[in-house]
Amino acid sequence: MFRFILRRLLQMVLAFFGTTLIVYALMFAGQGDPIQALAGERPVTAAQRAYLTQKFHLDQTGVGGFFYRYFDYISNLLRGDLGQSLTGRQISDILAAAWPVTVKLALIAMAVTILFGVTAGVLAGIRRASIFDNSTLVLTLLVLGIPTIVLAPLAQYFLGVKWQLFPPTAGAEPNLYALLLPGIVLGSLSLATALRLTRTSVAENLRADYVRTARSKGLVKRRIVSVHVLRNSLIPVVTFLGVELGNLMSGAIITEGVFNIPGVGFNLFRGIRTEDGPLVVGIVSVLVVVYLLSNLVVDVLYAVLDPRIRYE
Amino acid sequence: MSDIATVAATEQVGAPQKARSLAGDAWRDLRRNPIFWISLTLVVVVAAMAAVPSLFTANDPRDCLLSRQHAGASGGAVFGYDFQGCDTYARAVYGARASLLVGALSALLTGIIALVVGMLAGYFGRWVDAVLSRVIDIVLGIPLLLAAIVLLKRVSTSSDNVRLFAVIFVLAVLGWTTAARVVRSSVITAKEQDYVAAARMLGAGNGRIMWRHILPNALAPAIVVLTIALGSFIAAEATLSFLGIGLKAPTISWGIDIDAGRVHMRESATPLVVPSAFLALTVLAFIMLGDAIRDAFDPKLR
Amino acid sequence: MRVRRLAAWTALPLAVTLGLVACGSGGDSGSGQSDPNAAVRIEIAEPQHLVPTNTNETSGSQVLAALFSPLVDYDEANKPYEVAAESVTSSDNKVWTVKLKDGYTFHNGEKVTADNYLDAWNYGAYAPNGQNSSYFFEKVAGYEDLQGEKPAAKTLSGLKKVDDLTFTVTLTEPYSEFKTMLGYTAFYPLPKAAFSAPGVLAEGYEQAPIGQGPFKIKGTWQHDAKVEVEKYDAFPGEKPKVAGVEFRIYQQPTAAYADVLSDNLDVIKTIPTENLSTAATDLGDRFQQSPASSLQVLAFPTFQKEFSNPEVRKAISMAIDRDEITKSIFKDSQQPARSFVSPVVAGYRENTIGAAGEFDPAKAKAMYQAAGGPSTIELSYNGDGGHKDWVDATCNQLKANLGVECVGTAEPKFADLLTKLKAKQPVGLFRMGWVMDYPSMENYLGPLYSSNGSSNYYGYSNPEFDKLLAEGAKAPSEDEAIKKYQAAEDLLAEDLPVIPLRYGQNNFGHSTKVKNVEMDLFDRIDLLKLEAVK
Repeated sequence: MFRFILRRLLQMVLAFFGTTLIVYALMFAGQGDPIQALAGERPVTAAQRAYLTQKFHLDQTGVGGFFYRYFDYISNLLRGDLGQSLTGRQISDILAAAWPVTVKLALIAMAVTILFGVTAGVLAGIRRASIFDNSTLVLTLLVLGIPTIVLAPLAQYFLGVKWQLFPPTAGAEPNLYALLLPGIVLGSLSLATALRLTRTSVAENLRADYVRTARSKGLVKRRIVSVHVLRNSLIPVVTFLGVELGNLMSGAIITEGVFNIPGVGFNLFRGIRTEDGPLVVGIVSVLVVVYLLSNLVVDVLYAVLDPRIRYE
Repeated sequence: MSDIATVAATEQVGAPQKARSLAGDAWRDLRRNPIFWISLTLVVVVAAMAAVPSLFTANDPRDCLLSRQHAGASGGAVFGYDFQGCDTYARAVYGARASLLVGALSALLTGIIALVVGMLAGYFGRWVDAVLSRVIDIVLGIPLLLAAIVLLKRVSTSSDNVRLFAVIFVLAVLGWTTAARVVRSSVITAKEQDYVAAARMLGAGNGRIMWRHILPNALAPAIVVLTIALGSFIAAEATLSFLGIGLKAPTISWGIDIDAGRVHMRESATPLVVPSAFLALTVLAFIMLGDAIRDAFDPKLR
Repeated sequence: MRVRRLAAWTALPLAVTLGLVACGSGGDSGSGQSDPNAAVRIEIAEPQHLVPTNTNETSGSQVLAALFSPLVDYDEANKPYEVAAESVTSSDNKVWTVKLKDGYTFHNGEKVTADNYLDAWNYGAYAPNGQNSSYFFEKVAGYEDLQGEKPAAKTLSGLKKVDDLTFTVTLTEPYSEFKTMLGYTAFYPLPKAAFSAPGVLAEGYEQAPIGQGPFKIKGTWQHDAKVEVEKYDAFPGEKPKVAGVEFRIYQQPTAAYADVLSDNLDVIKTIPTENLSTAATDLGDRFQQSPASSLQVLAFPTFQKEFSNPEVRKAISMAIDRDEITKSIFKDSQQPARSFVSPVVAGYRENTIGAAGEFDPAKAKAMYQAAGGPSTIELSYNGDGGHKDWVDATCNQLKANLGVECVGTAEPKFADLLTKLKAKQPVGLFRMGWVMDYPSMENYLGPLYSSNGSSNYYGYSNPEFDKLLAEGAKAPSEDEAIKKYQAAEDLLAEDLPVIPLRYGQNNFGHSTKVKNVEMDLFDRIDLLKLEAVK
C-alpha cells in the first residue's frame, strides 16, 4: 500500500509537468494578439504594446521562444511565484480568491449528485422497468434536452426572481444557501449520468451468480443489495464521480456566469479569452492536482469496495 | 455496435450448426425486443432526416424574413417562425445532419478510444496502466475550450465538411477520458472474476479473454456514459460555434438553434422547444438502443 | 472611451438627443422619501485598472468618477463647464491656463495643488509606464520626448506650474477643443501619496485609490467582487445624496438584471439585449433610456478589389432596411444611423449619407449588378459581443434584396478579427462600434478615417479628408472647426468606407430602492443626483 502510493506520487509529478507543458504549449500556439485581446475594441497605443510585450516576453516566439518562456515560468513556479496576469494582478491572488468558492460549489453539486443520482439509480436498478425507473429516464432526457445554458437562466428566473425561493445570484462570498441553486444546476448533468450508471450497474449485479447463491442461502433481499450488490455496483459510479469532481470545478463556466460566481471556471474562460497564459496555466496546475488526487483516491477505493482487487 | 451484431448474425444464418456465438445470441435476443425496434426506427428516421432533409420539409430553412418574426404556423411551417423569421421546423430538420454527425461520430470515436485505452490499462495493469492512466490524467487537465481554439483555428478557413470533422475530432480527443476510466474500472473488476480465471486455466490467450469474457462485462457502463456524452457533444458543438470556432453559417445545427432560442425564450418558446425536443428524442433513441444492445450482450442473462 | 462590450443598446426618439439629461428623471422621481444615510449598489464589470491614466473602459471610469472630481463636466448641450477648475482659458488655443478652485483636498488630507495634476499627467504620458490613456496627452508639447523605450525626458515640456493653484498647458498645435477633452478620466490629479518616488506609482495605489472626489474608497478593491466607496465629508463641491456606493462586479449583465428584478441590486447600467423585450413589463417606469455616444457601423476592407468601388458599397447600404432591424431585432432600443457622427455631439447633421441611407431594394439591386458587386458577401463579427442576431438579420436582407449569398461569420473576439485584417486576409464586411472619448465631431472622424488613424482598419485614405481634419483642429473657434469637420464628413458620405447602421442608447434600470437614476454620455451613472428611497 505504502509503495503503491509512493509510486503514484512520483508518477503524479511527471503528469503535473506534462500537463503544464502541454497547456503552456497550447496557449503559446493559440496566441494571436493578447494585448489587443485585453483592449477589446479599443486601439492599443504603441507605448502600451511595448510595455506589455517587454513585461511578458511576448516577443519571444518560435520554438526557442516557447522553451525560454516555459522554463522561465516553471523556474518561477518552483520558487512559488505564479506570475502576474496581463492586468497586473498576482495569479496567486486570483487563484486564492477563485478556488474556495469553486470547491464549495463543486462539493454541493457532488453532494446533490450522490444524494439524488446514486440513490435514485439504486432504486431504479432494483425495480427495472417500473414507473419509477421510467420517470428517471424522462428526467435524464430533460437534462440532456435542456442544456445548462438554458437550464441555468430558467432556474434563476423562476426559482430566484419569480418565486424568490433562492437568491438569484451568489456573488463572490456566498453562503451555502446561495450556492444551493447553482450547485443543483451544475450537478444536473452529473446527476443524470450517475443515475443511469448506478441503475445499470445495480441491475447487472443483481443478476450475478453470487446474488442467486445468497438468495438460495436465505439471505434477505435488502441485505443482499446493501452489502453485496451495492459494493460491487459502486465501482464504475465511484470512478465516474472521481473524474466528475474535477470536471465540475473546471466546467462551471456557464453556471458561474449566470449566478455571478467569480470562480475557477469563469477565470479559466477569461484567461483563455484574453490569451492570458500565466492565468490559464496557473489554474490548470491546481486543476490537474485535483484530478490526480481524486483518481488516486478512487483507485484506492476499488480495493475497499471489492476485496478481490489488489494493489500492484 | 448494431453493425457487429448484424454481421455476426448473417454469418449465423449461414452456419446454423456452429456453436452459438455471443453475437449470435445477442441478435436472437434483439430481434425479440420491441424497444430495440422502436429505438432503431427513431434512429433511422433521424438518419434519414440528416441524409435527405428535403423529404421532411418543403421549406428552405435559410429563407428568413424579419417581417415573419415569431409568426405562427403557416404554409408548411408547422411550428411557426423563429426570431429571424425562419421556419422553425425546417431548421430543426436541416439541423439534424450536423448535430447527428457531431453527436454520433464523436461518441463513436470516444467509445473506441475509451474501450482500447480502458481495456489495456485495466487488463494489463502495472506499467501499461501507469502510463495510460497518467495520459488520462493529463488529458483531463487540458481545458476543452483551449484545445478547441488552438486546433480549430487552423481550419477556420477550410470547407464546411473539414470544419465539421475537426469539431468531431476535438470533442472526441478530449472527451474520451471519463469513459476510459469507467471501462478501466469495470475491466479491473471483471478480470478478478472466477470465469476469467477458469478461461485462463483452460488456456485462453489474453486477446481471447479480453474479447470474449471481459469486453461484454465492461460494455454496460461504457454505453451509459457514451449515450449521455452523445447529447453533451451536440450541446458542446453549439458552444464552440457560438464562440466562432465551431461550425459556421450557413451550416445549421440544433445546438446553434437552441442557443438562439434561449435568448428569446420569453418572447416565444417554440424556437427553443422544437430543436430541444429533436435533440432529446435522438438521445432517447440512442439510450434505448444502448440499453437493448447491452441487455442482449449481457452474459449474465443467460 | 471605446467600450469593449457593446452588447446592449437602447434608443429614444431623435427629439430628445440634444437634451440628454432631460429624459432621465421622467417616470421615477415620485415615490418615497430620500434616505441620505443609505448606500446604493451599482452594477459594473471587473475594472481593468483604477489609475486614471490607465483606465479607459466604462467600469473603471465609473468607479473613478466617484473617487475623483473632474476639471470640467458637460452641460445639457454637451458644452464643458468648470467643476474642479476655476477657469480654463486660452487666447490662442495653443497655451491654455488652468486655474484650480481652492479648498479641494485628497481623501488623505493632502491639499490639491497644480503639482498633483502635473505629476499625474507626466506619469500618464511617460511611455515606459505603459498607461492605456497616454495618447490623450499627445497634443501636449514635449509628448514625443516621453516616447520610446528610453525616452529623452521624464516630464512634458508643455506643462508649467505658475503657482499652487495655476498651471499652463502648451500644445504642439493650436487645438480649440482642448477644454472639452479635460472632462475625461485621464486628466484627474494624483496625490503625492500615490507615488513612492517621483514618477513611480506606489505599489498597491490601485488597490485603494486616493482621489479628491465626492466619495472616498472604503477598504480596498475586492477583485471580481466589489469596490465600496463612502461619502467624503470634506468635499467642497456638490454633495452626493447617498451615504455610499457599492460597485458590485458582475461577469454577465443577465445576472445583474436578475438581481435588479429582485431588489438585490439597485442599478443596472446595461440591460442585456435578451431582456429588452420584457424590460418594460418587468420594471415598468424603472426601465429607462437615454442617448449614448456609440455608433455601430459595417466597414469595408476597401483594399479588397471587390469592395473598392464606392457604388458597390452604396448599393449594399441601400439594401439594408435599418428601420426594420432596429424595430424587430433591437425592439427600438437603438435607432437607425445615417450619419458618421453621433447626435450627441455638436455639429451633428441628420442623414449626411443621403441617398445611400434610403432603403430601396430595387435600385440597390440594379446598382449592385451594374457595379459588379461580388456574388457572395461575408459579414464578420466578434462572437463575444451579442452581435449574432443583427448580423444574421442584415445578411438575410442582403440575400433577399441583392440576390447574393450572404453568411455571417463569427470570430472568437475582436482581436482575432483585427489580426486577420492586419494580415489583409479576406473577412468580407466587418462590424465596428465606436464610443467617443470626448464629445467632439473630431473624435468620430480622426481615429476612424484619417490615413494614420488608430482605428482605421479599412485602409481608407483621402488626403483631402486628412487636410480638412488638420484645418479643423487648428481652427480658431469651435464653430469654425465644426465647419471643417462637416466638410470632411461630406467626403466620407461620397466614399462610404463604412456604412453607418445604428446609434446606441443607454438602456438601464433600477430597483425600487433608488430614484433619480441618470446616465451621462460616458455610460456612467450620475452619482451626485442618485438618491436612495426610504
